[in-house]
Amino acid sequence: MSDTETEFKSVITPPPGDQIVLETRKLNFFYGTHQSLFDVSIPVKRNGITALIGPSGCGKSTLLRTMNRMYDLYPGQRAEGEILIDGENIVGSKVDVTALRAKVGMVFQKPTPFPMSIYDNVAFGVKLYHKKSKSEMDEVVETSLRRAALWDEVKDKLNKSGLSLSGGQQQRLCVARGIAVQPEILLLDEPASALDPVSTAKLEDTLEELKRDITIIIVTHNLQQAARLSDYTGFMYLGKLIEFGPTETLFVNPKCEKTSDYIGGRFG
Amino acid sequence: MDRALRRKLLNQAFVVVCTGAALIALAALALIMFSLFTKGMGGVDVMLFTADTPAPDSPGGLRNAIVGSIMMCSVAMLIAVVIGVLAGTWLAEIGGSSPYGHVVRFLNDVLLSAPSILIGLFVYWWVVVPMGGFSGWAGAIALGILATPIVTRTTEDILNLQPNALREAGMALGASQWVTVKSIIWRAAGAGMLTGGLLGFARISGETAPLLFTALNNQFLSFDMSKPFASLPGAIYPFAMSPYDTWNTLAWAGALLITLAVLGVNILGRWLARDKDHK
Repeated sequence: MSDTETEFKSVITPPPGDQIVLETRKLNFFYGTHQSLFDVSIPVKRNGITALIGPSGCGKSTLLRTMNRMYDLYPGQRAEGEILIDGENIVGSKVDVTALRAKVGMVFQKPTPFPMSIYDNVAFGVKLYHKKSKSEMDEVVETSLRRAALWDEVKDKLNKSGLSLSGGQQQRLCVARGIAVQPEILLLDEPASALDPVSTAKLEDTLEELKRDITIIIVTHNLQQAARLSDYTGFMYLGKLIEFGPTETLFVNPKCEKTSDYIGGRFG
Repeated sequence: MDRALRRKLLNQAFVVVCTGAALIALAALALIMFSLFTKGMGGVDVMLFTADTPAPDSPGGLRNAIVGSIMMCSVAMLIAVVIGVLAGTWLAEIGGSSPYGHVVRFLNDVLLSAPSILIGLFVYWWVVVPMGGFSGWAGAIALGILATPIVTRTTEDILNLQPNALREAGMALGASQWVTVKSIIWRAAGAGMLTGGLLGFARISGETAPLLFTALNNQFLSFDMSKPFASLPGAIYPFAMSPYDTWNTLAWAGALLITLAVLGVNILGRWLARDKDHK
């Protein structure tokens, strides 16, 4: 039976209703005329880590980029359906995208330190929203860098360029920059794919710490990473959410054949 | 002849031809520099900077021309950098892929290769005639028009080299497009944009033709840019053509000054750009 003939049946095991912070409902996404998400309905648990896995081109990054309206930057890309954050639909033209992005931060695949000092990198987002005194800003910068587990490595060189850090440090700097504006949700798009194992482990420790008060959604190609890090996992295939549920269930006892094929390494 | 031997010979012939071409180009450059220094250094003394352009066969310097060139080039670069950087930014960040953007880019490329004498005539007709006379402003505008497309082009090219992830990262924090471009992209592209400005400066610093129709010349030291204005190329041109030895010497000294200025500004620019990358 070929994939195109198969009507995939989604198996969704949502977290308890009162714990859901973000939820897409029948979300469709288009790059011009090409549709790349089909009726995706994913419930995301508050203050936990949700991982999105699936083969390349399955739409997991696309889904992630709808959640902070990143697609707005590109004419021709559009979403249909609903994305509810705290019950409020963020799809549509009436949404204040700036306020949304203060609430939903993002860290990218490749580290993207800004060409300025480590201090200014972290302060950049904060300055967009608040006028803070020097001492208040110092505190925000220190707290953010501590939470991103980078403080001890950079505290003596805050005035050095962010570009002078190693790749792993740069990525944690991006995390610190993202959490400095105190977002509710942090989106990470394969944040460890450009990092060595040691840096990856540090980043993962950071995320474990952060999930206490930030909701984290992470796209990853690394199944072990999803398994050891996340509370809930969604498996996507051909633009559809095939299976979603508690990570342990999904990895140990997947309900769909496609899911077990993928995590068993039989394709993808 | 067997294949391997033929390939080897061909390869060697290619290397010899390339090396020869490079040597010829370098030799020409070295010869120019050599004659500039041997003939120009003779005219470099204190008077060069303290006295104005003299009458034939009397002592003098190039003070008025130096001041004139510095002032006109400064105003021209101000015009070119403001318009060029904004236009280049528009092309790279905002409207570059729209039909209007393509037209703007094409026209800019046309302007980039327009003969400078044409620019001089254009400014003569649109500035000198309405203003009722030759002036330093007209000269600066002509030079500015020459440098603008260079700055525009390099700005666009350099901005296009900046990774899209950097723009997304700025926007993902909630920054507007303007703040993202101003605080992140321009900063990341700073060294390259500076190079664009330097290229523009190098282009206009020796331009003579457009100044003949616009700034004309001035025998005396003047800071009033609404009057005819002296410039180094404007002094070199008649002095080099003249039969007087003193004038010839000054012309060589002037040519040397322009060359050294371009060289100095280039070195300064590279040094500034390097300092930023290694901080």
